[in-house]
Amino acid sequence: MADVIHIQMPLWQLPLMVVVPPAMLLALVVWLRHLILARSMPGEEPDWSVPPLEADDGGSLLHRWDVRCKIVTILAYSFMVAALQHIGPALAAIVLSCLLLVVSRASLSRVTMRLLAIAGFVSMFLVVMPFTVPARDGDTVVVINQMTWFGFNMRGLLLAATITAKAVAITLLMEPLLSTAPLPVTLLGLSRLGAPEIIGQMVLLSYRYLHVFRHEARRMSAGMQVRGFRKRTDIATLRAVANFLGMLFVRSFERTERVFDAMRARGYKGKMPEQLELKLHAADIIAAGLWMTVGIVLIIFDRLG
Amino acid sequence: MHELAHTAAPPDIPSPLFRVRDLSYRYANGTVALSDIHLDIAAGDRVALVGQNGSGKTTLIKQLCGLLAPSRGNLSYRGQFLEGDHLDRSRLEIGLLFQDPDDQLFGHTVLDDAAFGPLNQGLAREMAQQAARLALQRVFLDDKIYKAPHHLSFGQKKRAALAGLLAMQPRVLLLDEPTANLDPRQEEVFLDLLKGFDGTLVCVSHDLVFLYELCRRAVVMENGRIEHDYAMDDLVSQREELRAHGLDFSFRLVVNASTEAAVADGPTCATKDNDLHSDSGVASMVDMHDYNFRYPDGTQALKHIDIAIASGDRIAVVGENGAGKTTLLACLLGLQQGEGTYLFEGDPVKRKKRKELWRKVGMVFQDSADQLFCPSVEEEIAFGLQQMGYSKSQIRTRIEEALGMVNLEGFETRVPLHMSGGERKRLALACVLAMTPKLLILDEPTAGLDPRGEELLLAILRELDVTLLLVSHDIFFVRALTCRTLVMHQGQIIEDLPTESFLQDRRLGNLNGLAFAFRQRGGDAIRALQHEHEHRYPHRHLHSHPHRHGEIVHEHLHEHAHEHPHRIVHSHPGDAQDHDHRPRRLQAHDHPDHGNDPDHHP
Repeated sequence: MADVIHIQMPLWQLPLMVVVPPAMLLALVVWLRHLILARSMPGEEPDWSVPPLEADDGGSLLHRWDVRCKIVTILAYSFMVAALQHIGPALAAIVLSCLLLVVSRASLSRVTMRLLAIAGFVSMFLVVMPFTVPARDGDTVVVINQMTWFGFNMRGLLLAATITAKAVAITLLMEPLLSTAPLPVTLLGLSRLGAPEIIGQMVLLSYRYLHVFRHEARRMSAGMQVRGFRKRTDIATLRAVANFLGMLFVRSFERTERVFDAMRARGYKGKMPEQLELKLHAADIIAAGLWMTVGIVLIIFDRLG
Repeated sequence: MHELAHTAAPPDIPSPLFRVRDLSYRYANGTVALSDIHLDIAAGDRVALVGQNGSGKTTLIKQLCGLLAPSRGNLSYRGQFLEGDHLDRSRLEIGLLFQDPDDQLFGHTVLDDAAFGPLNQGLAREMAQQAARLALQRVFLDDKIYKAPHHLSFGQKKRAALAGLLAMQPRVLLLDEPTANLDPRQEEVFLDLLKGFDGTLVCVSHDLVFLYELCRRAVVMENGRIEHDYAMDDLVSQREELRAHGLDFSFRLVVNASTEAAVADGPTCATKDNDLHSDSGVASMVDMHDYNFRYPDGTQALKHIDIAIASGDRIAVVGENGAGKTTLLACLLGLQQGEGTYLFEGDPVKRKKRKELWRKVGMVFQDSADQLFCPSVEEEIAFGLQQMGYSKSQIRTRIEEALGMVNLEGFETRVPLHMSGGERKRLALACVLAMTPKLLILDEPTAGLDPRGEELLLAILRELDVTLLLVSHDIFFVRALTCRTLVMHQGQIIEDLPTESFLQDRRLGNLNGLAFAFRQRGGDAIRALQHEHEHRYPHRHLHSHPHRHGEIVHEHLHEHAHEHPHRIVHSHPGDAQDHDHRPRRLQAHDHPDHGNDPDHHP
């Protein structure tokens, strides 16, 4: 059995290894955010007389795929990707996810924002794991200035990279899953798959009223600011924040009662009416089968590697 | 002294659509909201339900649509009590428009929301969608059907909420403050939409001019009881009744000498054309030059703003929704930072200065609930003073002074959440006044107030000695409180002129959504009614008709004494105070069929 291989590096190269990569990653994240915000300048007002997905030429295969098949297939495929153990199949999974993005004509800015959302979490793996994975026989460890206790394990880096690749591949799938159908359709699909209907109703209403509560909170916060409130670490701030949250809760609670009254006044009796009918076609099942096959092949490829 | 003729008795309706008998309702916390309500509403009636805040109007309309069940008494709709299956069916025929459209727009898109009701009525999906589309077309939202409700403007939300009801083709529409927070142009759109509804309509509103245009019958409520039920004309023509119920809005209809004097005697406001500041050496309190603001999403909200506000100025800022008024206020308050020059009392408003602006600039929000979050009135007013670093004794003194300025003495321990809309507005004003701002900004101060509340607020604001910036669609308040008007349109100030000049320029009014033709029309009609009285007083006539003296029948001029009601039309410039109609010795009006009156010559 091979021993652990130590590669010595001088001390002055430590900052290069420890500081430069995270700094580059941070700079990339900031630049991408700025780019996306700059590109999201309001252009022409969209035509709201047609559904947004159709307006964006959303006639892709994924838009037409039955939502139940889509949910089951993509979630099952995600579990398969999560089960991969080697970097090669994980990178292949990223390529397949990108292919799905192209087919679904997903918005690049939205995809990038999703990736940026997990960037902090996965970069933590990339930074920490190489230093914390215990060295085994055959590992290559880069040691700075004889500090064997602070070795950079290349196997740890490979492991972190594999986890990162899998996370990226799964994250890229979320856009085709969630933005190729309106939220109510996706929730209807979930309820047809066995999720309690009330959960779907709650999610839908929460999505709608989250915006309302956000606006109320913003106005109330402005109301406090114009009377000089600034957050400090003292009891007065705590009291003010508690009052603010309490009032927001009371207003939200009163609004939910009024919303319920409004629903009852228009005939609601506990079940939201379904606005559309889901129809399953043979093509939907064939597409699901094909994609699952791809996932199985990926796992076989991974196990053989 | 004469007395007004007796008002008409409530109409006797043989087969009413709604029949309410001895209805009382008590909320779970013990509050008696309705007492012994007796009301009949016929099919096709257009009823205005009026009264001060807290009189029970909203509770009554919730009873009418079955959202609340009576504690005592009964209520029937189409001959049956609102319970069981009949209640379920009735809810699909009775539409209730809530005051806040966000309460009833719960669909993912506008179309989904409008189709909700028809789907519950049992319509097939396609039919429900079709009904929803037609309704949205009626309210001019057919180009926004796939938009999410939270992206709509307030006026659009109101119309979308109405569409959700119209899609159900209701027999009855119950409206709770349908025009609250709408600008005059949107009010007019709403009025036209409601006039086009051919079913039964019950409308709760403080806006009597709007109600006059829409309704023919008025039910006046007070303390949970129906005080009066008569024709709309009878309500608006009787100032004494309006005043007794806190509904007298006539102060808006009369341009009196005191209003003009208040404006004329006020400080001279500088305008673009007669800028006093640069030449006279009088420093401006606020100076903005070439000021721009762009939101993070790229929306250019303010463009090349140039303003100068001197100490003591009273300025109105007007403009259609989306003109940039709110953004301008946010920048003035230091909540937002734009680009360009912004000087406050000669100092540039940069980072540190911006954070301290709150000490000198105060604002009362359109919805006063947004700035009230403490558990008591006392704590609410003390909040800002504590941030300013005042001592406890100073705070106590200032609280008393502030409550006195807004007529809320004795309210220290009250809970703001439980106060009426007018009281909350005055409390929000007190919170700001306690901090003695140099510049006071009022954003739509009359929103949600009943006429008595408006009159009280106007009186308070007139007495204030402070530099004032008023954002309002309320032309009366603009005229009464300001001498200079800034007109905003698409992020720019397009006019800076004396208020009187603005009010006379119809083009500017139309441009800024302030077209108030129906208000003018309604106000003129009401003013005419208020000066058309029905009097009953003894008077004498000189007339000639056949009559009998014993066995002799002849005809000649003779005088008679009468006492009966008759209508007199006056024109009274100025306040409608009690006036004395001394009966002339002889009246000259006609008395048809008087000669056949058997009691004429006993």
